[in-house]
Amino acid sequence: MSNYFYVAPEQLIRDRAEFAQKGIARGRSIFETGVVMVAENPSASLFKISEVYDRIAFAGVGKYNEFDRLREAGIRWADGTGFTYSRGDVDARALANYYAQHLGDMFTEGQKPLEVEILVAQLGNRIRPTKLYRIAYEGTISDEPRFAVLGGDAETIKSRFAASEDSLEPLSTTLKNAVAALAGPDRTIEVSDLEVGILEDRGERRTFLRLHDDQVSELLR
Amino acid sequence: MGLPLFSASDDPGPSFFHFAQSAGLTTPTSSGTALSPHATTVIAVRYDQGVVMVGDRQATGNYIASRDVRKIEPADRFTALAISGTAARGIEFIRMAQLSFEHYEKMTDTALSLEGKANYLSPIIQRNNLTSPLMVLPLLAGWDSSQQTGRIFEYDGAGGCYERLDFATIGSGTPFAENTLRLGFSTDLDRDAALTLGALALYEAGDNDPSTGGPDFVRNIYPMMVTISSEGFQELDNDDAGERFRVINERRTQSGGVAGGSLR
Repeated sequence: MSNYFYVAPEQLIRDRAEFAQKGIARGRSIFETGVVMVAENPSASLFKISEVYDRIAFAGVGKYNEFDRLREAGIRWADGTGFTYSRGDVDARALANYYAQHLGDMFTEGQKPLEVEILVAQLGNRIRPTKLYRIAYEGTISDEPRFAVLGGDAETIKSRFAASEDSLEPLSTTLKNAVAALAGPDRTIEVSDLEVGILEDRGERRTFLRLHDDQVSELLR
Repeated sequence: MGLPLFSASDDPGPSFFHFAQSAGLTTPTSSGTALSPHATTVIAVRYDQGVVMVGDRQATGNYIASRDVRKIEPADRFTALAISGTAARGIEFIRMAQLSFEHYEKMTDTALSLEGKANYLSPIIQRNNLTSPLMVLPLLAGWDSSQQTGRIFEYDGAGGCYERLDFATIGSGTPFAENTLRLGFSTDLDRDAALTLGALALYEAGDNDPSTGGPDFVRNIYPMMVTISSEGFQELDNDDAGERFRVINERRTQSGGVAGGSLR
């Protein structure tokens, strides 16, 4: 028969939070403005930024296998909802809430909390606003007004970016500011180490676009 | 629907159809009798730079149910899908195919090959046709970017998938359209010649098959004409399609309705 020791709930939450934060601190930070998403990612195939639906994108930091499963679930949810109802009925807020519930459940009831932090971005149109939902490892969901930073050093990067930009700027300016904030004052990031995805109206149904290295170089010039 | 999470062992992978089945989103199989076969003619013809497709617009039950149905739809940017058979199942089939190709692309970050798309549809057709009397027979045509050519895939009722190197037709007007294509086809057709031949084949089907709608000069509704090439899926506008049918109709009027001779 196994023995159970009493652990105070505060202690349990603290331990779990510390555990999850350690995992996420390994991840790089992701930015988001307008809607452009920028990540430092040396891999050209294990993406952190991804298309979910016509006007919805996903970004994740932390353990790849954990956030990638959430990404896949999000795509399935969105495609399934659009198939059942209509494409216009797929709303980022509903998806963000599901993510928040799942992360919250895993934090309190799972074997271990998920070591991820994710972002659900929605490009607005006439019936829906542009939205950035950031969801933390314990299920806290926040509606970020203009930009969001995810990952280990998020606070520092956030203040750097906030200082460089106080209004909505065109894509190239925003991207430059984002990359500068990601790198910090003493570092430059190679274009090949950047992953950039945008949500943008181009007259087509699908608005997500993954930018190639040469497109990124062109914008950063 | 909640957040669809799967364990690694029962994950449906990037196939939307298998996910939809596990989530109960697909139509159940049925054993009822066929209620509304919608008769059709859709033609696909290869030309040097791609594929031309022409499809009639009429939905037919015991009477004409609709005169402006779209039976050819883009499945994605470089693929067109046409349907014949039961309208309800056909529409669901097109939605399922469109969503499946996009779903695969989003899940894996790579587009399915044209052959992959063609094979993917086989079990879906098989499942529908062998478990219900509400038959669906599609026709798939696309631009194969790896081979830089247009390709056509047709199916039999059990889901068998066959590539056609020349042309293919589906629907009740097939005999008339196919005969026209047989006489008029050559391997060096250009876009314009393929469009002309396709329009003529559809005109013949509309002329002879009561369930195929030919050009409707009264309502200004003409068969759909599309091309699939390296430029992607492109639909001819109504005036352009109408003009091609008007020319054929004019010739046929002058010959007193005789279709023979030098292939009018």
